Amino acid sequence: MEGKFTYTPEIPEVFRCRVPLPDTAQAFVINGLVQGGANLPGGVSLAEVSGGGSHIAVEKGVKAPGTLQIIAVRDSSAGTPLNLTHQISVGEDSSFSLLLCSHTLTLDSYSTIDTIALNAGPKSVTEVVVMQNENNNSSHETKFVLNIADSALVKITIVTLHGAKISNEVVAHINGEQASCELNGLCLADGSQEMSTIVNMHHHKPNCHSSQLFKGILDDDARSSFAGKIFVDRDAQKTEAYQANHNLLLKRTAKAFVQPQLVIYADDVKCSHGATSGRLDEEALFYMRSRGIGRDEAKLLQQLAFVNDVLETITNENLKIRLEELVESRLRGEFSHCANCSVNCC
Amino acid sequence: MKTIKYNNMLKIKDLHASINGKEILKGIDIEIKAGEVHAIMGPNGSGKSTLSSVLAGRDHFDVTSGDVTYKDGNLLDLSPEERAREGIFLGFQYPVEIPGVSNVNFMKTAINEQRKYRGLPPVNAAEFLKMMREKMAIVEMDSSFSSRGVNVGFSGGEKKRNEIFQLAMLDPSLAILDETDSGLDIDALRIVANGVNKLRREDNAFIVITHYQRLLDYIVPDIVHILYDGRIIKTAGKELALEVEKRGYDWLIKEEENGR
Repeated sequence: MEGKFTYTPEIPEVFRCRVPLPDTAQAFVINGLVQGGANLPGGVSLAEVSGGGSHIAVEKGVKAPGTLQIIAVRDSSAGTPLNLTHQISVGEDSSFSLLLCSHTLTLDSYSTIDTIALNAGPKSVTEVVVMQNENNNSSHETKFVLNIADSALVKITIVTLHGAKISNEVVAHINGEQASCELNGLCLADGSQEMSTIVNMHHHKPNCHSSQLFKGILDDDARSSFAGKIFVDRDAQKTEAYQANHNLLLKRTAKAFVQPQLVIYADDVKCSHGATSGRLDEEALFYMRSRGIGRDEAKLLQQLAFVNDVLETITNENLKIRLEELVESRLRGEFSHCANCSVNCC
Repeated sequence: MKTIKYNNMLKIKDLHASINGKEILKGIDIEIKAGEVHAIMGPNGSGKSTLSSVLAGRDHFDVTSGDVTYKDGNLLDLSPEERAREGIFLGFQYPVEIPGVSNVNFMKTAINEQRKYRGLPPVNAAEFLKMMREKMAIVEMDSSFSSRGVNVGFSGGEKKRNEIFQLAMLDPSLAILDETDSGLDIDALRIVANGVNKLRREDNAFIVITHYQRLLDYIVPDIVHILYDGRIIKTAGKELALEVEKRGYDWLIKEEENGR
């Protein structure tokens, strides 16, 4: 695929996303246009989608090593809003890991609407980590449409670090038997940021498994909403589907709206949903302070502990460590001083 | 670590404290010197746990009058974390579970915060792990506990052992053990008490709060105080604990009421 794109080296020079790993193949999507895509593993192709976005195809039987990172950035040269489509098709018996991160390079007000369409072939294993880190003037809507075939395994982890208004909607269709879909998400919001998550998990066939684990930490006047639905069709017997949404509210003014729903037409299934909103545990804070840990550090430890199980689900160990660092830095409030910086690198 | 021997480690003078406007401590006087172990006994509701909470700096307790001098300073001016960094340790009656924070991470953070306070660099990783192993051995804790969440899924005995392990790691000048014997079977009690005995030195002191004489068979105190209705009604040597075990508190309470 090399040579097809005009590579703009100035972007990587000014822009340093802290996520890249030494063994990561990278491609940029700048204002919707694919730029670069060197070192793609064999059997994996990357192409532009007309109108903006990328098309990633993993051939049948290909076990792609490492993680491919797509860095989507927006800078002031493109008008708003932008509609992007990322099409990902993973062939039968293939495995593929993708990191898609989105950033804004200037403080302009951006509006981005993404569609991520994933077709997971039979017996394929796909892991997608999406990281959203945008400026305080930007809105970003992402819609995931997942089509999952027999015995396929799809795992999506959405890490929303920063942005004025970020929404993620996942529509998953489990179309084959013995398939599994795992959705995990984490959103961190402060100031007047608004985060929303919508999940529609459709179980069309028997003997499948799905899980949802979404967590949020909200400070100041931040708002979050979670609307999660599990649909189990009449034929989808022996379905196992679980959903959990937990929110940690650091101030009284922060609010989390939660709407868990189960719509079940089959009679032999295991389904559950759970939702909580809570505060930091004062007794645990005192316990930590009584050991010499300062109040702020104790609060941070508790927040990191709260989100720990979401990040734990990331398979790529290096990626997990980087994201843990980013989350810690975000919770320490180190992102806010970047607000006046045009190179929004973190 | 400081090597100065404080003749007066802790001096509590006419301490009054209340919670939600209700007075619990009604004038406590205790003096503790380095090298000493003091036991505080007393019936339920006498104020034992309130005293330990006030000394450790727990919120919601109001000290209405009196002084607490620790080493050379006013203890009551310090936040809980400052007290810990100055060498005070509270062994909890009910140790708190902290899911998601591993024991090893918890201890490393605590030790580094204390080192930072003393102007020392963060602890070296290899040294830290060696120290963890040594101190876990003191309370016969399996090394698998280090990677588990703090107290998560620990049995009552394991939680109390973990308290003494943390005590050993942090090496405080003054340790307050609040009913460390509650919920322990006889073997765990022996392990916990042996742990404390191994940590006793000329330059540190312990306050052992307990209901029962049994613990004091293992951790032999220098001085025994009986706390009743927010006051120390009797202070004597270790034989007082045996007498209380035999005769209960009633005779002391009567003696106190007649003397009032």
